[in-house]
Parts: sequence; C-alpha cells; structure tokens
Amino acid sequence: MDPTVRKLLVRILRKIPTGKLEETLKKWTHLSRNQQQSLDYSQPKWSLHENIVSLCQENGLTMRHVSELEMIYCMETPKLTTWRACHLTGAEDDASSVELICFKEQFKAHLSELIRNVSIKIKKHDDESVWMRIAWGDTFSKPNHLKPTYVVHYLQTPYVFICNLSSKNKPLLFQALVFATRHAAIKDANLSGRSFHAIRDLLMGHYNKTFPTNHSRPLKERNHLPTHPNIVKEHMEQAEKRHQVACETFGEGDVPKLETATYMLETRFRGGGGCAEDRQLKTVVTFESKSLLESLRYSATSGMADSTISPLLSSITQKGRNHFVITDKRDKGPDKAAQSLMS
Amino acid sequence: MQPTSERLVGKATTKTTTMLKPFRKTPALNEANLLLVENEEQLQCKLADLILQNEKDGFNIKVRLARQLPLPVDGEDSRPRIDLVVFIVNLMSERSLQSVEKSIKCLDPAFFLGKVCFLVTGARCLSVSKDNLLTVRKMAALLHCPLLFAEDQTSEGVTTVAVRLLSMLKVAAGLVPMATGLQLNTLAHCVMPTDMEEIDLLS
Repeated sequence: MDPTVRKLLVRILRKIPTGKLEETLKKWTHLSRNQQQSLDYSQPKWSLHENIVSLCQENGLTMRHVSELEMIYCMETPKLTTWRACHLTGAEDDASSVELICFKEQFKAHLSELIRNVSIKIKKHDDESVWMRIAWGDTFSKPNHLKPTYVVHYLQTPYVFICNLSSKNKPLLFQALVFATRHAAIKDANLSGRSFHAIRDLLMGHYNKTFPTNHSRPLKERNHLPTHPNIVKEHMEQAEKRHQVACETFGEGDVPKLETATYMLETRFRGGGGCAEDRQLKTVVTFESKSLLESLRYSATSGMADSTISPLLSSITQKGRNHFVITDKRDKGPDKAAQSLMS
Repeated sequence: MQPTSERLVGKATTKTTTMLKPFRKTPALNEANLLLVENEEQLQCKLADLILQNEKDGFNIKVRLARQLPLPVDGEDSRPRIDLVVFIVNLMSERSLQSVEKSIKCLDPAFFLGKVCFLVTGARCLSVSKDNLLTVRKMAALLHCPLLFAEDQTSEGVTTVAVRLLSMLKVAAGLVPMATGLQLNTLAHCVMPTDMEEIDLLS
C-alpha cells in the first residue's frame, strides 16, 4: 500500500470514534461482510486500526477509496473546523434549473481546467445537499489529501458553505462554483462558525420563526401556564409581550447553536477624559456562548435587556450574519447604535 | 418606627393609586393570599407549588407571583386582599437587591406591621460579598420585619422554607386562633446585632 494512502487511512481511523466506526465501515462497503464481522471492536484502538489497515491492504484499496471513507465520516459529523458561508449573486435565467449531474460535470471540468492536479469527489447527501471534497495540488505536485477542502452546496439555492480553503486556491474554487451554478459572482456572507448545522440553519432559515401578529394574546399553548389554578402571575401580560418580541427576533424553541458574533467598530471615540475628538479607535466586541441566540432570547424574555431589542443584535437573525463592521457616517454624525454599544 | 425607616417608605405615600394597601379589601372566609416578589422568577414558582402541596388543613391558599412592585393597575379589581408579602433576595445578583429596594417604596407602611417578610437565598456561598447580606439585614431590622434564609438548591431546603412561609401566612391571615401577624412580628423580627457580635459573626 502506498505510504501516503496508509498515512491518510490511519489518520482517518484515529479521528473516527470507535462507537461510530462500525456503521461508518458498513456504509463504506469496501470491506466485505466477512471482513467486517471479523473485526473485534473491544480490542484496544491501535490493534483494531492495524487490523483494518491490513484488511484494506488485502483488498488493494487506493487513495480514492480511503478519501471516500473520510468523506462519509465528515458528512455524518461535520468537522469541527471553521465553516464559512458564501452567497452566490446575480443568478442567470437558468440558475434555478441546475441539476445534480449537470452541476457535477461542469464543476469538475472547469476546476480541472483551471488547475491541473486536483482531486474532486462529489457526493449527494440525504437532505438534497451536494458535498464536495477537493484535494489541491499544483502543476508539479500531486494532490495533497491530508488537507482537503470541503464544500457544501444546496442546489438551486444561492448558498455555499466552505471549510479549510487556503487563500491561494480561493479564486479558483470560486470561479468554478460560479460557472457551474450559473451565477455571476460569489461573495462572503459574513457568517462563520464551528458548527456546520448551526450556520446552515441560520442562513437558510431552518428554525422556528415567529411572525409578528396584531393579536394580543397569541397561542396560549406556547406560554408556560402556572401549574395550579391558585397560582396567579401578576405581570403575565408584560411577560408574554416580552416573550413574543424575543421570539420574533431570535426564533422559538430550538434555535441554531450559533457560537459567536463579532462586531468591528470603526467609529470615533466619544468618551471624555481629555481625548481628542476625532481619534479613530478600532474596537472589536465579541459575544461568545454555547448557544448565542438562546442566551440573547433569554435576556430579552427575562427583562434583562431593553424591551426594544437593538437592531445590532436583531440583524444576526434577520440578515443571517455574525460578523459586522460598524462605521461612522461622517456627515450624519456618529452612529447612535454604535454609541450605545460602546457605553 | 425609627425615622430612617419612614424615609424608606414615606416617599410612596404620594402615589396612592398604584400602592398596595393592606386593609382596603375585605377578607374572604378560610382564605389566605400570599404575594411572592422576586426579580429572577426562579424560586417563587417552586415555592408556590410546594406551599400549595403542603397545605393540609383545608384552607384555600392562593399565591400570586410578581417580579417587582408596583403591581399592574389592570388587575387591581380582581386582586384579592394580600395577607403576606415576601420579598425574595438572591444574594448572588446585584439586581435582586436593587429591585427589592425599589419595590419596598411602593408598599403602604401599614403592611410592615406583620405582613411583610424577607427571604434571602445564596447566603452560604463563599463568593458572595458580605455587603449585600449586611444591607439586607439592616433593611429588615429597620423595617422591623422577619428575615428568613433559604437553601434553594435542594428540594428539602425549598420544602422547609415553604412550610415556614405557610405557617407565617396562616398567622398573618388570621387563620390561627390566638395569634396575629403583629404578635408574630414582635417575636420574629430581624434584629441588627451589636458591633461586638457583628465582628464575631463576620470574622
């Protein structure tokens, strides 16, 4: 077996937790049933991995098969590296009728034209998304499979999610994507994070949204009724109103587990203390949490935050981004919202 | 009452419409109403459930939960007569104490004769600053009200304090023969320890 293939296989096996190993190998289907049954999962990890490697060697598996294993595992549990979202803009007329096979062929063809040594693997996931694994090489070296780029695209939507892409290969990938999806351009969506599902759900709106309503007492089932008829909550109406506003802004029930939100302030410093008025002070404000949207929603319902939620916070869900740059409008005066954030 | 305590509650006498008055409404037969005021709204729900569970004598106990005073004016007509007001202070948060200090100003002074009680949680925690506890003690001593401490992390702790509050409520509502809220207050109100004792306690 090629030493690079072996190295990659060992690395992948180490990453996959033993609990998931059995089903991942089953999905892989490159080990026969007898071989799979011969594996003893209660052995210590290193000996189990050695057995698997020797079985793969028997079967004569190549880089193509091994990278498929990595891809299967990655599709099940997206890697905990930073995923970035991108937006495709300027859809042409036939952009909404791009099909999987057509997209596959076009993308592969175009990218191989742009760069000679590249290894592309495209798979369709159950939820209608297209996963692509790209190993980059250049004119003189073979593709490096140890640092692949993963790209996820939902066909007929303008959303692309990318992880592990170097700046050298960025323009090439973008060009191929734009061509294959029949759009005019691609730009960064200012949304990144470590949880793929959270980013996807936020950008594509796959969470329970509450819509504004004029009805004063919306669906009573949603609200927590006291357990006993003898218990009465005095501030019930105000609490319900706060809950309604918070749910409208941040979603209801399970919200995407966004972890950070970053605000870059490029505004003038307006504090006292003898500082010159027009001094530019670059500040970065970062909110971090296990589930940012849930904590923001809780702070609004419990009354800790103001009743009218700041547009800086509500634009996280409304615009689907978590990186913002706030600048002063010099002629109109300092940004009031930025003021309140800084104070 | 000492003059300083009047300063605490005196400001509220100008606002008669939103202030809670103890004797404005008529009492109902065999009924007692408790008002739990807590900024975080965590402990009050558990306490309410346990108080109602522990009521064994057949009285009709009603519990009202609020975040702060003054209470909304809309519910003024349907609100029954309140027999006991309990202010829950969580020593671990600053806001809790501030909210209680604001709420006290919206309570009619007549309430403080046996119808108000302070409940403090989180006093065991070592990281809590001693100033907050001292402030609450001074406030309770000044207003001549009982000060209870509660363990809110365990179910036994919450049950214990629920049973205590229930017995205080029954006395305050006049459901216990030969005992009134004012009598209980004279026996159980918080006393500020003298300087010597204070040094021993805090060291």
